[in-house]
Amino acid sequence: MREMKRYLDLIPISARQRKRQSRMTRLCIILAVFLVASIFSMADMEIQAQIYRTIQDYGSWHTVFRGLDEEQVRLVGERAEVEASARYAATNYRLDQGYTVEGKETVICGFDESFQEMMVQADVPEGHFPVNETEAVFTQSVKRQLGVDLGDTVTLAAPDGQEIEFTVSGFTSDTSLITSEDAFGMFLNVETYAEYFMDATQDKDFELYVEFSPYCNIQKTISDICEQTGISRDSVQENTQLMALMFQTSDSQMQQLYVVAAMLSVLVMAAGILMISSSMNSNVSQRTQFFGMMRCLGADTKQVRQYVRREALNWCRSAIPVGLILSLVMVWALCAVLRFLSPYYFGDMPVFGISIPGLIAGAAVGIVTVLLAARAPAKQAAKVSPLTAVSGNDGTTHAAKKAANTRMFHVETALGIHHASGSRKNYILMAGSFAFSIILFLSFSPVIDFMNHALRPLQPSASDLSIISRDNTCSVLKDLAEELEKDPAVEKVYGRSYAYSVPARSGEESFKVQLISYEEDQFDWARADLTEGSLEEAEKGDGVLAVYMNAKRGFDIGDELTLEIGGQEKTVKVSGRLAESMFDVTDESANLICSEELFRELTGESDYTIIDLQFNSRVTDQDVEEIRELAGENVTVSDNRMSNSEVKGGYYSFALFLYGFLAVIALISVFNIINSISMSVSARIREYGAMRAIGMSSRQMIRMVAAEAVTYVAWGIAIGCAAGLSLNYKIYSILVTDRWGTPWYLPAGALAVIVAAVALAAAAAVRGPAKRIREMSIVDTISAL
Amino acid sequence: MEILKVEHLSKTYGTGEAKVEALKDACFSLQKGEFAAVVGESGSGKSTLLNCVGGLDTPTAGKVLLDGQDLFAMKENKRTVFRRQNIGFIFQSFQLIPELNVEQNIIFPILLDYQKPDKKRVDEILEVLGLSDRRHHLPGQLSGGQQQRVAIGRALIMRPMLVLADEPTGNLDSKNSQDVMDLLMKASRYYQQTILMITHNENLTANVDRVLKVRDGELSDLGGVRA
Repeated sequence: MREMKRYLDLIPISARQRKRQSRMTRLCIILAVFLVASIFSMADMEIQAQIYRTIQDYGSWHTVFRGLDEEQVRLVGERAEVEASARYAATNYRLDQGYTVEGKETVICGFDESFQEMMVQADVPEGHFPVNETEAVFTQSVKRQLGVDLGDTVTLAAPDGQEIEFTVSGFTSDTSLITSEDAFGMFLNVETYAEYFMDATQDKDFELYVEFSPYCNIQKTISDICEQTGISRDSVQENTQLMALMFQTSDSQMQQLYVVAAMLSVLVMAAGILMISSSMNSNVSQRTQFFGMMRCLGADTKQVRQYVRREALNWCRSAIPVGLILSLVMVWALCAVLRFLSPYYFGDMPVFGISIPGLIAGAAVGIVTVLLAARAPAKQAAKVSPLTAVSGNDGTTHAAKKAANTRMFHVETALGIHHASGSRKNYILMAGSFAFSIILFLSFSPVIDFMNHALRPLQPSASDLSIISRDNTCSVLKDLAEELEKDPAVEKVYGRSYAYSVPARSGEESFKVQLISYEEDQFDWARADLTEGSLEEAEKGDGVLAVYMNAKRGFDIGDELTLEIGGQEKTVKVSGRLAESMFDVTDESANLICSEELFRELTGESDYTIIDLQFNSRVTDQDVEEIRELAGENVTVSDNRMSNSEVKGGYYSFALFLYGFLAVIALISVFNIINSISMSVSARIREYGAMRAIGMSSRQMIRMVAAEAVTYVAWGIAIGCAAGLSLNYKIYSILVTDRWGTPWYLPAGALAVIVAAVALAAAAAVRGPAKRIREMSIVDTISAL
Repeated sequence: MEILKVEHLSKTYGTGEAKVEALKDACFSLQKGEFAAVVGESGSGKSTLLNCVGGLDTPTAGKVLLDGQDLFAMKENKRTVFRRQNIGFIFQSFQLIPELNVEQNIIFPILLDYQKPDKKRVDEILEVLGLSDRRHHLPGQLSGGQQQRVAIGRALIMRPMLVLADEPTGNLDSKNSQDVMDLLMKASRYYQQTILMITHNENLTANVDRVLKVRDGELSDLGGVRA
């Protein structure tokens, strides 16, 4: 045995003697640290992965300034907060200005070399950036299709007939626009660009792309720059997604998301704090007696405080690293699954990534809460006299304030209820920690609804192939749809007709609408988005469905709209409202959905603007090629199979990520409940010994523990459901209703899962103590007193 | 009438070198209404004897017959109920349930039996114990002597065949000790209650019917001391 040199050496000896107590306290700290660290780490890793993806897709720039003169460009570039700035302009970006190379439309971009630091797509992996006015960088498609190489000359034909020759100084990779539209692209330096193309550029000026230091307050810096240069804030555009991920955006919708994120973070922290506090409070009386005894033997309050602090740190020393390691393993496992499911979204996640903020949050919650919670029994012991503290009859949770109610319940049930509710502080902490599991679960569940709304391609209506009219008219023949239905590789065919910018009137108000026809399948799918009114009336041709636009602009059921089509006025009635459209629609005009018959009646058009196809699993590239040929020349055929499978993977990955959160919460709730009940029983085990001696049977003892568990859990469920549902409503409103208009619904599934988990955990929680009680030696327990 | 018969009771703890024979072949019996005291030094084995007689601990060998029924031939659950109904316990540290008031603590064994307590009997016991005005007090609001009187009431409420008292005055001052002894004596004399009491205070054995002595686990009958 180790020699005891000072009173603090009692700590490990005492811990060995009270192994079970020590183990349970440690387990509780481990669980709380695990909960906080894993949720914060997962969120952090997700944000890092998204930042990386966003930089790859959209660049690392933060803002674009328009309308700056040369002096202003210099001033902005010289600011300490600016890490990089570059001028940029483009011509023929929409491939409609007539600049061609060998007859193919060519996008022309001019920018400073420093633009490459902010935009991966501007990189020149082969050759060098153009240094003089005769040089240009071309896309790989030019190299491939024209067979040119570095140093060769390429001629650009301008719409006015002028021909400009450039020497190839380098090649850059193709962008998705270049490949999908079968076009070319070229990069020039700003001087060359300004000389030839400035007149053809929108606004006839360069834009200034700026990347700020990640540690500065970007919004404040932008305001300063606007003030300094005198430009309007409206002419500043943000890289919204990147700024949002850096918590720097001014976008109001994103800021609402921050509010939700902050609420959820506070809830997670609070859950961790409550779990530790409640578990440590449950054996407070034994510890009060222990500290009372120390006081009795001559320890002063300072020494008791020192002892408490050291003991708490001892628990933390082993429990916090275990909690953190468990959270790391959990995060690594989840990241591995995410990488496997969706390499596009999560491929850049590190295999063994470590989230410093997540680990710090977990450790901080653990240490601070343990230190604070551990002080309570010592403070209590210091308050009462050493004699009474050591007798255990005063100043402890076991000293009841009022008698158990043996009139209403059997004595063992009455005692169980009293054990739970006798100490108000203990009761609030225990029921509160159970309630928090439910609150956390219900607060996180609206994020799943948010995901279901935000990731559209997973909708049943997502098409694998779209045949689209080139001029956006109803020129895709209905016969083609009927023909395609016969194709064995095709599962579903559904077409839509569009009438754009139709002048409309409702009462005094005039506006433009976009009229879209649905067939049977699309009406069926739309049912899920119906927030009000009748779908059937629209399907029968007796009305139209209005798609929710925003809170300010909307239609009421029964509104009559007068449409002006082909010089004739026709009136339609709004029969229903949809939260959103299954397909991308323009935000500029109101979207009305009607049946094919009504569309024909209103517009005289019976063919489609778009035919969408869904394939079965047997589809081959050969089948798609045949359909392309069948569709003919006058349509654009958009093959979405690859992006669909990517986004589908993305959806499952996000779902896994969110359900991972929920699973962690549910799992920890279960462990917390089992551990808490077990600790509560341990704290009273001597009292139970006396009851056994007097003649309480094991079955009665178990009923007593069960009554205690049920009392905590019943209140936990009641408080958890009340508070959890309110928060669920609030978060759902911010995340879903405000954006898409979908009204809140009672999350019966989520509620059932967590309430069942809590109830089952309570049932399981009684099993362990029941076994211990059955095996308990009455003599040992009594003689320990 | 013989109430308690202890036959060749032995209890051994540990094995090998750590083996301790706490009780060696103890034999004795008690008649109805008899008040016996077990004396002995600390660690002599008297508590082991009491725990085995009360069915709280299992003996290594031997039998305990209460009213002819072998305590250790019963299954655990049956023994618990039998103990509840036929043996009353009084502990040195009172062992009251802190969440129950005086009256509830006294009727606790009846409540465990899901029986309705006889109000007259409860009032009578409270009266005898001098706790009538304290019936709604919680244990934390009582003195040590009062708490031990509640424990005595709890031991007597079921009219058990045997009351086992383990150092019942060990935590009390001399005045309260005397009160407790008077109460036990009264139970023995007026209610024909059989009592087996452990004590290391030989002064308390002056009025008991018989004294048994345990020394190094061996029991000897010192016979009656009362005149």
